[in-house]
Amino acid sequence: MMSLAMATENENLKIVQVWHGGKFQKRLQEMGIYKDSQIKVIKNDIPGPLIVDVKGSRLIIGRGQAQKIMVEGE
Amino acid sequence: MDKIKIALAGNPNVGKSTLFNRWTGMRQHVGNWPGKTVEKKEGSFKYDQYGMEVIDLPGNYSLTAYSVEEVVSRDYIVGEKPDVIVNIIDAANLERNLYLTVQMMELGANLVLALNMNKFAREKGLKINKKQLSELLGVPVIEIEAVDDTGSEKLLQTIVKVSKSPNVVLDRLEYGNEVSEHTKQLEKIIDQDIPQLDAPSSWIALKLMEEDPEIIKKIEETGKGQRVLKEIKKIQRHFNDVFGDDADAAITDARYGFIAGLVSESVKKPKIDKVTRSDLIDRVVTHKYLGIPIFLLIMWLTFQITFTLGDPLGGYVEEAFAWLGETIAASMGEGFLTSFIVDGIIGGVGGVLVFVPLIFILFLILSILEDSGYLARAAFVMDRFMHKLVGLHGKSFIPMILGFGCAVPGIMATRTLENERDRLLTMLIVPFMSCSARLPVYALIVAAFFSAYQGWVIFSLYLLGIVVAIIVAAIFKKTIFKGMSAPFVMELPPYRLPTAKGALIHMWERGALFLKKAGTIILALSVVIWALSSLPVGVEYGSQESVTGQIGTVLSPIFAPLGFGEWQATVAIIYGFLAKEVVVSTFGTLYGIDGDGGGEEASDEEVSANETASVEQVSNEASGEQVSGETAVEEASAEEEETALEEDPGYIAVMQELFTPLSAYAYMVFVLLYIPCLATLAAIRRETNSWKWPAFAAVYTFVVAYVVSFVVYQGGLIMGFA
Ligand SMILES: Nc1nc2c(ncn2[C@@H]2O[C@H](COP(=O)(O)OP(=O)(O)OP(=O)(O)O)[C@@H](O)[C@H]2O)c(=O)[nH]1
Ligand SMILES: [Mg+2]
Repeated sequence: MMSLAMATENENLKIVQVWHGGKFQKRLQEMGIYKDSQIKVIKNDIPGPLIVDVKGSRLIIGRGQAQKIMVEGE
Repeated sequence: MDKIKIALAGNPNVGKSTLFNRWTGMRQHVGNWPGKTVEKKEGSFKYDQYGMEVIDLPGNYSLTAYSVEEVVSRDYIVGEKPDVIVNIIDAANLERNLYLTVQMMELGANLVLALNMNKFAREKGLKINKKQLSELLGVPVIEIEAVDDTGSEKLLQTIVKVSKSPNVVLDRLEYGNEVSEHTKQLEKIIDQDIPQLDAPSSWIALKLMEEDPEIIKKIEETGKGQRVLKEIKKIQRHFNDVFGDDADAAITDARYGFIAGLVSESVKKPKIDKVTRSDLIDRVVTHKYLGIPIFLLIMWLTFQITFTLGDPLGGYVEEAFAWLGETIAASMGEGFLTSFIVDGIIGGVGGVLVFVPLIFILFLILSILEDSGYLARAAFVMDRFMHKLVGLHGKSFIPMILGFGCAVPGIMATRTLENERDRLLTMLIVPFMSCSARLPVYALIVAAFFSAYQGWVIFSLYLLGIVVAIIVAAIFKKTIFKGMSAPFVMELPPYRLPTAKGALIHMWERGALFLKKAGTIILALSVVIWALSSLPVGVEYGSQESVTGQIGTVLSPIFAPLGFGEWQATVAIIYGFLAKEVVVSTFGTLYGIDGDGGGEEASDEEVSANETASVEQVSNEASGEQVSGETAVEEASAEEEETALEEDPGYIAVMQELFTPLSAYAYMVFVLLYIPCLATLAAIRRETNSWKWPAFAAVYTFVVAYVVSFVVYQGGLIMGFA
């Protein structure tokens, strides 16, 4: 298990835990980021936000926010 | 005639406004990034014997609102109950899009699904079985193409049909035993205790389990919700004990589970994900090191192209107006009325209209950028740097780029920022972005002083605007807007090839606004300025004794330290507060449009050849550093001043009399940064609902402009650029 911010590009991952609460957690859910969903990092250049693939759409997510999303390889 | 009320709903950036525009012939803002429509918009059209009333809603991801503009959609969908909701869906992104669909089904909405962007779905290798999908959902599914008429007729027929016999969708949703059981339980209690709610009780039950604050409040307000709320607590506890997660998460899972089932039965996906063209482009455009240089290059090209194409075209307009002025003057003779028409109207309005080609071309390029999908990339690239330096995230950069066209839509676009503080802060810095109204001012001055280097000089001003915006934001963030910025997540749309038609329409829309402004506000102001320049009776027109001259003279000492203490320059700034183009019309009313006769034209060419030569010379020596270019230009213009001044003093000569290249640059800096125009202040007032912020914006931008121009001018003097 590691944070999304540590993940390598183009690896299929599964979300294990989302350490966000309240409205933002909801926003992530409705954009397809929630526990047990699949995710793939498309771009992970430090510093700066990440680009991820979720259900076929591309999302930009801030690095700080990605650090609070735990994933594991499939 | 029967009326049918239709709402266009769906995720952001799926083509709602495109369809709305097509149906109603209206012109809602369309572009390729999420969150363009921020207010609901109504339109109507006739179909068959029906009067269709359509509402274009801002895009949203769910019925739980997150930012200001999403509240609008949610309230409309939940509260207004349109006859039919057309749920537009990005077929290339079906699964995520259906999440909203499912939520609207929970609400019992009368839906029609319109699959858009089918070409992109096919490119991804997706095959959607519409019939199957429609049967599973119990909702008609129509394939459309919002950019042309594909499927439009069928969609309209379906809308009419569905408006007469609404779909029954509530029993289609299957959320698994755990969730269903509890909702049923809750539903029963709701039906017993509070039967008068005007939404399906199953929906209320779900919302309560999701802990939707507004629904909870509603239930509390009925005064009969004690049993329901107690039950909720019990359910929450149960979910926590059994699954280690709240009910909310279980419902999300259930929804996505239901959708996954739908999709597996109705969509064929390729085994391996194809690498899309978008991804390939993004490898370069969002590259760690190349990202910012590419952004700068795109900006540079934008202004370079604008000037290369727009300037000669503007020359024709200028000649036309000059001819018009001369003809009128010749046929009417000297006099009051002639002065009114030639100085006031042709000088003021014509002086601005000369720049219409420039502005249209700028709008065209900006439209192409907006439609391509690049804006979201710029947000991505800038986040790195905005985040660290400013504490704003990249999303704030989208309103800023829109500000290159006009600050007003930029300020509106801040509605998509979730955090109120970030939103205010962004509103306060958007006016520093160099909007199209500043372009005429630059063009005027650049032609007189920096013609060989115009692209670079203007580019430097645009950059300066961004830099000042970022510095000011950083200062504000550490003082008045302390606090964390909102977490950042945003959809990155795929690149799309902008269509010529789309871009031209877009250009025309905004260009037309500019023309309208020239015909109304600028015309009116030109008349006022003309009057103030003619009064009191008896003074020479546009002289220092006129009211205009006196205003300028009284206030000019303020600006003397910035290098432009001439009363004409001062008064142009004062009038320009109303709209920045007025800076140009002030010069136009005072000096008239450059009526270059044959002789002067020749000398103009000579001058620019002269300038080019000396500038090239210097750039060879001094590695093209911009400031050194200015001195070179100045030398050239000094020589030329003598020759030009003897002839009819046109714009260029007059400008060279008023300014040195250094003070001219300081002047442009001041015009760039000082008090946003009235329309911008009004927009800030509207969005913040108070006079405090526009007043603050006016004062602080003035201070910033003063300080920066002062530094530029005095610094320039010290460094020896007299
Ligand atoms: N190729 C193609 N492009 C389309 C189609 N429909 C819309 N677009 C493009 O998709 C982009 C988004 O369209 P909009 O109509 O602005 O989307 P919207 O749903 O109103 O977006 P928001 O107001 O941000 O929620 C624009 O660049 C459109 O030109 C289509 O059928 N085919
Ligand atoms: Mg829209």
